[in-house]
Amino acid sequence: KEMEEHQSVNFMRLLSDESGCSILSEDSCVYHHTEIYEELPSSQAARHRKQGGWQTCEAEPGRLPRGAKDKTSTQPLRNLLLCLQGKREARNRRNLEIRSVGFWESWRRSQSINRKRVWAGVRGALSSLLPWQHVLHSIEGRFGVGVKSYFVFLRYLVYMNLLHCVVISSFILGPTAFYGREPLTFEDDDSFLDFFLGSGFLERSPVFFGYYTRGSLNLTCLNTPLLYLNGVLAILILSLIMVVRRTAVSYKHMRLLGKRYSVNVSFKIFCGWDFTIQDHAAASLKRSFIRNDLKLYLEEQSFSLRKAQRTLAQRVRLYTLRIILNLLVVSLLGGAFYLIYFATITSQSEGQKVSLILQYLPPIAITSVNLVLPHVFRKVSSFEDYSFTTQVNVTLLRSIFLKLASLGMYLFFLFRADPFFTLNWEKNNQFGREMYKLCIFDFLASFCNTFLLNYPRKWLYPSSLLTRLLGKQRFLIPDNVLDLVYHQTVSWVGVYYCPLLPLLGTVKLVVMFYIKKFTVLRCCVAEQRMFRASSSSVLFHFMLLLGLFMAVATFGFNLYQFALSSSCGPFANGASVFNVTGVCVDSLPGPAQSAVRYLASEAFALPLILAEIVILTSYVSRGRANQRAIERLKDMLVMCSSDKRFLVKQHTTMLRNKKRTQKARTTDAGEDSSACQ
Amino acid sequence: MGTTASQLGKDLLSEYQELTFLTKQEILLAHKRFTELLSKEDKALPNPRIPMQSILTLPELKSNPFRKRICHVFSTSDMKDGSLTFEDFLDLLSAFSDSATLEIKSHYAFRIFDFDDDGTLDVGDLEKLVNCLTGETDDTRLTPDEMRQLINNILEESDIDKDGTVNLSEFQHVISRSPDFVSSFKIVL
Repeated sequence: KEMEEHQSVNFMRLLSDESGCSILSEDSCVYHHTEIYEELPSSQAARHRKQGGWQTCEAEPGRLPRGAKDKTSTQPLRNLLLCLQGKREARNRRNLEIRSVGFWESWRRSQSINRKRVWAGVRGALSSLLPWQHVLHSIEGRFGVGVKSYFVFLRYLVYMNLLHCVVISSFILGPTAFYGREPLTFEDDDSFLDFFLGSGFLERSPVFFGYYTRGSLNLTCLNTPLLYLNGVLAILILSLIMVVRRTAVSYKHMRLLGKRYSVNVSFKIFCGWDFTIQDHAAASLKRSFIRNDLKLYLEEQSFSLRKAQRTLAQRVRLYTLRIILNLLVVSLLGGAFYLIYFATITSQSEGQKVSLILQYLPPIAITSVNLVLPHVFRKVSSFEDYSFTTQVNVTLLRSIFLKLASLGMYLFFLFRADPFFTLNWEKNNQFGREMYKLCIFDFLASFCNTFLLNYPRKWLYPSSLLTRLLGKQRFLIPDNVLDLVYHQTVSWVGVYYCPLLPLLGTVKLVVMFYIKKFTVLRCCVAEQRMFRASSSSVLFHFMLLLGLFMAVATFGFNLYQFALSSSCGPFANGASVFNVTGVCVDSLPGPAQSAVRYLASEAFALPLILAEIVILTSYVSRGRANQRAIERLKDMLVMCSSDKRFLVKQHTTMLRNKKRTQKARTTDAGEDSSACQ
Repeated sequence: MGTTASQLGKDLLSEYQELTFLTKQEILLAHKRFTELLSKEDKALPNPRIPMQSILTLPELKSNPFRKRICHVFSTSDMKDGSLTFEDFLDLLSAFSDSATLEIKSHYAFRIFDFDDDGTLDVGDLEKLVNCLTGETDDTRLTPDEMRQLINNILEESDIDKDGTVNLSEFQHVISRSPDFVSSFKIVL
């Protein structure tokens, strides 16, 4: 019905455009059109609320609708939509004496404006205090939201690691430093290589688990082991809360943005320009930002159109292709896992000899597999005819599976490889050392990748055949995000055995930010196609969540496995995680003790689960009800506008008829008056 | 500052304060900037006009893609040449000031975007608007296909009464839902 109406309207406009004689009636139509809008109850109510006027600078007082006139006589002159001369006339019409603005009022007004400005300035200064705001802005302008979302993610990880550092230093480092342990000593056989291998003096340093023995701080409920455990748990729980919250926020954002009927494009067009921009560079940045944004939007839309127009045969062919490609991906993953397994076995079997290459064999295998396969996955996904955003996300999902699974495999083999090793006191430190090595190696790899691969490649681009074959470099978001997620997972997994990993991670991430910034701004060209950041940032955080779960699982497994057999670190001399907490609980007064025991029992789990189910159900149903209400409101909006349209049409035809009869009458009577309303 | 204040006159100053959203200091600053742009011979005239070309040299307007439209909208010149008197200039600053209402700002935004001054944003206006936003050169412009698709989208969203154009009330309807329009539609000397 609406389409019909639309067409008829177009038809009307076409007619009036073509025939010169009906221009007058068209004009009056526009005029009455606005008038009837004025008189609608809804717009009058809106006007009451807003206390605004509708007349334009050119409008003469006689043409004003009555309702508007009443309104304008009460509102302050400066709110009128008139030029200064018009305002003067309006004042004369209102017969107001020329009111001079007193000193007090002038001062008050300028104070209120100044206050507003100061607040805006403070807010601006605060937001510019956020690190790298400016860098992010220029990256966004040149490379679009997608690349920016990577950097925002990186910054978020830096924040998180900083928070971890605070937790670590207050729970673990602080007490240990305060309640003493002998200072770090260097021995003759310490070498620089130890820094990379995590052996030698590092092994005796606070970097690793073994350093934190039960010191002089030895109360039943406040001792080093307990603090250590609490610190690590606090980190994991804090991370869980932060990541879940962030995922939920970006998910909500995505849902809101992803809805149709939204006024997205109109916003982008009508409110797109920032009139406060004075700088030429900022203006061109803003322009390219708007252009990127629009192109992204249009591309997504035309893709969904193309998708809707696929024939059955095309669809069948596409799905077969996708299945075959997925099989290929699975077999590649299998091969990669076997390679990692092989590397781990080899390095474990030569466990006694300290050969640098052999020591680093598993990290090398993992890193090289992860360096090569994502590129293959990217090529594969380009055949699958997804939209660009989906393509990025699919590659991301496959690669994250590879990355986390390879890390998981590595951990698993580390536990499995040497059952006799478990009793060795070095075992715990060795685990921490492996994580430390992974972290260092990962950093070295990305450093070399940038300065030995990407940067020379940029300089070789036009001259060398190979680089021309490879094409211009683009910033590959999936690979880079993967690196970050992987790094964070390693840091979570290793934090129990290597409490300084968060500190190391913070430094590493900050350096990474600058390296990546260098890569983007110096070595890469902007992607031709843009991709949507909102859905991807959900995916980024979701992957982070997967990494966190993996870390928690490893942590639980570690606790379980090493509970009885630890011979160094805070839980030495038969003190295990369980009996340390047990001793603490036993020292509590009776009611608190039974409360803790109840909380830990299965009897508590059931009501907890039930309560969660009830809460979740209520939220889900509320969400559904809201959604239904939104749909209904949208329908109402459409109905309202079509009602209005109908009424306006009726009104104009009525007026036209009336005018025609009046004109006929006046010509009949021979009078000289023009047509009035 | 004392001389400019005496040039402007106390009564006039307080009248401007009453009729615009500007503070005393802002009006004085505007007057100073305005007289700087005036040429020698113009200064003798009773109600001098600054031609559009010299208005556009203001740093506040220089990189604004809508600068010519802004001049045309606020000009009361009969010649339609976009030249501004001091009062026009104050009108401009008042509409773009911090304390102007959403109503006023959206009204003037509508008139700025209405390139052919016919009271509605039709397809031609929207096309020019988009070109202003993305940049006017050939390699920054959207392709004709993209442009058509984009404009169809805009009309589908904001053209509530389906007459093929966006009128003032529809425009204000869209604008009123944007939280940062008031803060971005701002020019402060």
